[in-house]
Amino acid sequence: MVRLRATAISASVVLALVVAAGCSAPGGDDKKAGDDSGPIKIALVDAQSGQLSSLGAWELKGAKLAVTEWNAAGGINGRQIQLDVFDDQGDPTTGTNLARKIDSEGYIAMLGTAESAVTIAMAPTLKTAEIPNITSGQSPGLVAVGSEFLFLNGPTSTTYDETLAKYIVDQQGIKDIALITNNGSYGKGEHDAFTKALKTRNVTPLVDQVVTADQKDFSAALTTIRQKNPKLIFLGAEEVESGLIVKQARDLGITVPFAGAAPQGTPVFLDTAGAKNAEGTIVSSPYLSNDINEASKKFATAYKAAYNEEAELHGAKAYDGAQILLTALKSSNVASGKPLADAIRGTKYQGLLGSFAFDNTGVGIFATSIGKIENGKLTAASS
Amino acid sequence: MQVFFQTIIGGISLGAIYALVALGFSLVYRTMGLVNFAHGNVVTVGAYLASTFYLTSKLPFALAMFVAIAVTGVIGLVIERVLRPLENRDFDLMLIGTIGFGIVLDALVIMIWGATGRAVPSPVPSAPIDLWGIRIRTYDLVVLAIAAAATVLLVLFLSRTKRGAAMQAVAMDHEAATAVGIHVGRSNAIAFMIGAGLAALAGGLVGPLLYVSPALGGALGIKGFAAAILGGFGSIPGAIVGGIAIGVLDSFTAGHFQGYSELVTFLVFTVIIMIRPTGVFGERTVNRA
Amino acid sequence: MRYRIGIIALAALAAWFLPYGLDSYAIHVVNVILIFAILAIGLGLCMGVGGQVNLAQVAFFGVGAYTTAILTTKTGWGFWLSAVLALAATIAVGLLVGTPALRVQSHYLGIVTLGLALAFTNWVTNAQVAGGAEGISAIPVPTIPGVDLSNEYLYYYLELAVFAVGLVFGLFIVRTALGRRMRAMRDDALAAGALGADVPVLRMTAFLLASVYGGLGGVLYAGLIRYVAPETFSIANMFLLLGMVIIGGRQSLIGCVVGAAGLYLVRELLADHPTVAQIGYGTVVVLVVVFAPTGLAGLPKRIRDLVTRRRGGQGEAARLQPFQPYETVRPDESGSQSPILEVDGISMYFRGLRALDDVSLSITPGEIRGIVGPNGSGKTTLFNVISGLYRPTRGRIRFRGQDSTGLAPYRLARAGMSRTFQNLRLFGDLTVEENVLVAIDRNATWHSWRYVARPISVLRRDRDLHRRAAEVIERYGLAEFAALPPKSLPYGIQRRVEIARAVAAGPALLLLDEPAAGLNGDEVRQLSEIVRSVRDSGVTVIIIEHNMGLVMSLCERITVLASGHVIAEGEPAEVASTPAVIEAYLGDSMSSDDLPSVPEVTG
Repeated sequence: MVRLRATAISASVVLALVVAAGCSAPGGDDKKAGDDSGPIKIALVDAQSGQLSSLGAWELKGAKLAVTEWNAAGGINGRQIQLDVFDDQGDPTTGTNLARKIDSEGYIAMLGTAESAVTIAMAPTLKTAEIPNITSGQSPGLVAVGSEFLFLNGPTSTTYDETLAKYIVDQQGIKDIALITNNGSYGKGEHDAFTKALKTRNVTPLVDQVVTADQKDFSAALTTIRQKNPKLIFLGAEEVESGLIVKQARDLGITVPFAGAAPQGTPVFLDTAGAKNAEGTIVSSPYLSNDINEASKKFATAYKAAYNEEAELHGAKAYDGAQILLTALKSSNVASGKPLADAIRGTKYQGLLGSFAFDNTGVGIFATSIGKIENGKLTAASS
Repeated sequence: MQVFFQTIIGGISLGAIYALVALGFSLVYRTMGLVNFAHGNVVTVGAYLASTFYLTSKLPFALAMFVAIAVTGVIGLVIERVLRPLENRDFDLMLIGTIGFGIVLDALVIMIWGATGRAVPSPVPSAPIDLWGIRIRTYDLVVLAIAAAATVLLVLFLSRTKRGAAMQAVAMDHEAATAVGIHVGRSNAIAFMIGAGLAALAGGLVGPLLYVSPALGGALGIKGFAAAILGGFGSIPGAIVGGIAIGVLDSFTAGHFQGYSELVTFLVFTVIIMIRPTGVFGERTVNRA
Repeated sequence: MRYRIGIIALAALAAWFLPYGLDSYAIHVVNVILIFAILAIGLGLCMGVGGQVNLAQVAFFGVGAYTTAILTTKTGWGFWLSAVLALAATIAVGLLVGTPALRVQSHYLGIVTLGLALAFTNWVTNAQVAGGAEGISAIPVPTIPGVDLSNEYLYYYLELAVFAVGLVFGLFIVRTALGRRMRAMRDDALAAGALGADVPVLRMTAFLLASVYGGLGGVLYAGLIRYVAPETFSIANMFLLLGMVIIGGRQSLIGCVVGAAGLYLVRELLADHPTVAQIGYGTVVVLVVVFAPTGLAGLPKRIRDLVTRRRGGQGEAARLQPFQPYETVRPDESGSQSPILEVDGISMYFRGLRALDDVSLSITPGEIRGIVGPNGSGKTTLFNVISGLYRPTRGRIRFRGQDSTGLAPYRLARAGMSRTFQNLRLFGDLTVEENVLVAIDRNATWHSWRYVARPISVLRRDRDLHRRAAEVIERYGLAEFAALPPKSLPYGIQRRVEIARAVAAGPALLLLDEPAAGLNGDEVRQLSEIVRSVRDSGVTVIIIEHNMGLVMSLCERITVLASGHVIAEGEPAEVASTPAVIEAYLGDSMSSDDLPSVPEVTG
């Protein structure tokens, strides 16, 4: 009796499915185009859990700050902006799920992710769905994707390291350089970009040490470097690992300065390395500190008021990215798809990181500044 | 030659931490028959507690450590209660059950302390010692001394005290121990409490060396577990030897194989385990038919 | 049966029409779920069925995906050719990762496989050919003429087909000889070996199966996502996979699939609350492990059991039927028979402890030999040496004229030796019938290639095995217990099952280790009848026993061991009056029960 009923129920379910589906082929996916009323839906995709969740947390804070400001000022064309957070867990597969999800739920643009691999995995879907994406990655691999819907909210490694090499080799005349980089996507990008910048200047590194992204002890690599007596050590790793390397290097009696890109200018790096150890570090960054100019001071104050913590680079980048997107939305009268992408490409924006003007590759900013850590603070270097 | 010795020093320094983690694994395993994959996450909890007492409550480092160990020990009692049904179960179940519990602990850590982590300044400010060009951090010496003291205390506790002897008895045969009137549940709870305390000790000590973040314990947990296996799972001296060995192995592969170090470390580990499955100090288990 | 066919038809129909109700996001999630389901089947076969802890499943997945990616993008070979090569590569890696299983098990195997999985991600993160941390993008779309596989709705049908074939093949394995043998090994590797299951080959088979499914999942992943990066094959995803298998029920492939689908869906639903989802998922895992170790798949049975218990009686209790004796086969009495087993000067030391010291024995075909001695005199150690569990420190053993010293237990079993164990080693999660089936199956595991090439012959053979098992069960009067797990049976019946199993293996020499322990008087009488009948059917029997009545009445010759030495050998009456024997027994005050006494049991 029970069995009979179960069979009957499942049969009717299937029947209902068939009827509902009609005889059309699967995939008759009616696209919910961004309708003209209600809030403007923007998706922020970043790791909110797992190993990379700290980056995701910073990005969310920065982007949210921009959106809150716009909403407080009345939104765009009288419509509020709705920023929804999606957790990619730092996992490319989850990223591809989310790409479809934000497409089917009618989001017209996406901010994030901080993880190049996730962004690259999502790119083809977003391209097909014509959803512009402003990412926080800086890997040259993002440019290689060649999607007209993918934009970077900061410079690529090439810019960072070209500026750095110019300062170190051309201006300071330092040629005895050692390299220590990690094998993650960030470290690898830095390694390649800096080596290339050195090569154009006919400089060969004295030593080239590669570490893994979750290594804890660097004695071997650093002692090898110490034996070559470099004048400067180039560092290509994320904040925490960079901090550990510098701290251990000082413990090993290495006194020469370190040089690197954005992570070496952040408070996390300073804290991890210890202010004394980080002294003299040369940093190539588009955002040297919170009090470099009026805009950054204003941003930092608002950030502190909102989250009760100091602003830093990742938040600033995400803030700029969100600002650019919102400006483009306004200038295009809340367009979506290709017109929105074109609007972003056409946006000239003076942001925390500098002045943005996008080229065909989706990169909008091609300059960084050189800063130096002095008295425990990152300040612009006097060249 | 300088690189060689410096690499050993670096390896021993982290090896001491791995050893403390391995000690917790081994102690809990030998008394309770529980392979606790959440041990690494307990290390994270301990590290956060120690750093909170040290940085936020501004306690002196030693006192902060002490409080953190005590608090983590108490948390350990709670964890033991949750995991008790898993003891002496089939390994697959213990594995996934404790991993599941670790996932919960991880999420709780993120809820309480956030995802971004914190740096802990070294409590021993004096400059490293220079021995013929080999530099030894004073803090490393402190860590080594504490690890050694903890091991000695643990061994004394197990061999000289009544409670310790009872725990040894439970380890050998828990049915017989029950028969002679030993409260197995209590003995297990104490073992777990000590294990959690050791985790907090490792986590607290590693804070100033590394960076306290939710991901801290995961890496230490895997290496510590490998260390315990390498030394002979369940053996106290084995945990120490295994910890130092994994630390030094790690340092050397990092020096020679750079980016590929992890690959080489685990390949070497696999080969060693295949040659000598019971580890350095492991008892050869006799199949009783 | 018709009911089951109906369910399958419904499931197939539902699966066929599923895409009609889904939007592009949902179909993508379904496609990813199918890949995880395939991976979970592989992990279920390896861990749940084969009992081999495998934390490298995610690496097998990675090898499949990466090889496809590398071959299609770097060499320009077609997707399908690359896919076949990727599968081959995964199998090779699977066998390599499985090798440690020959030496270590349980948590040792866990950390080794976990380490190798980490080694894999480390390699792809570094290797130029694997694109480093950036991964490999722009993998070409697989092509089938006339079908656009870049359309995820159509890709779904490709995945569905692979999944269905994979699931059916997995179930086919689990329910026939190979799966039975793997489950036996999982429950008790020692006993499985003693019954002729070639444990090393079986362990490798478990990893082989895991890698095949891992490779399939990887190939499908490469075709679906068309991008690979190291993060996808992380430890976190391995634990997720493990969670799926455990929550679903690792011993049931359907359970693994349900677990994969369920857990992935729930995580996807809770995607906006990652921390809550994490706590929830962790808690569910702990709860399942504690309260429902058999997972979701085990729930229906638990509920059914609960209901029957609530309703009171479990119907009529099954009853043990009398044993039906074998037909007597008289061995030809053509004078000099060479001994079936010769033990020559065997010594066995454990860390200085001499368990056996220069023991020699010779057993003639067709005899029933008793081995007695006080506790700790080395009787069981002697059995373990004879049956290959221990390699003796010194001395040689010849079985049926061949030197068998140090041969693996399963080789000895194949050569015609069978044994029972002092503390019963029945396969707890197999039924009584399956316990016997494992013993009857004498094929080497490598014959399992037939599963791929000649599945019909596998089915036919299995039917034949079942028929023979039914005969054995009938003869031992166990028919009413055939479908029950031995754990649920009274001790005396378990003893009988173990003897039935040992004899079902068709041995020339049967070793019985304390077969009467824990039996009541009536059961001992039945045992004695069984052993005699087994001997009369042409099997030589060696029996270790403390029940002197049984030994005295049953055995033609008795060997007495004390402290690892043979102190007497001869006919029962003769041995009982040897002064050394009396002294050995009296000197061992702890076991005065073992005093030889006047035979009590007759017939």
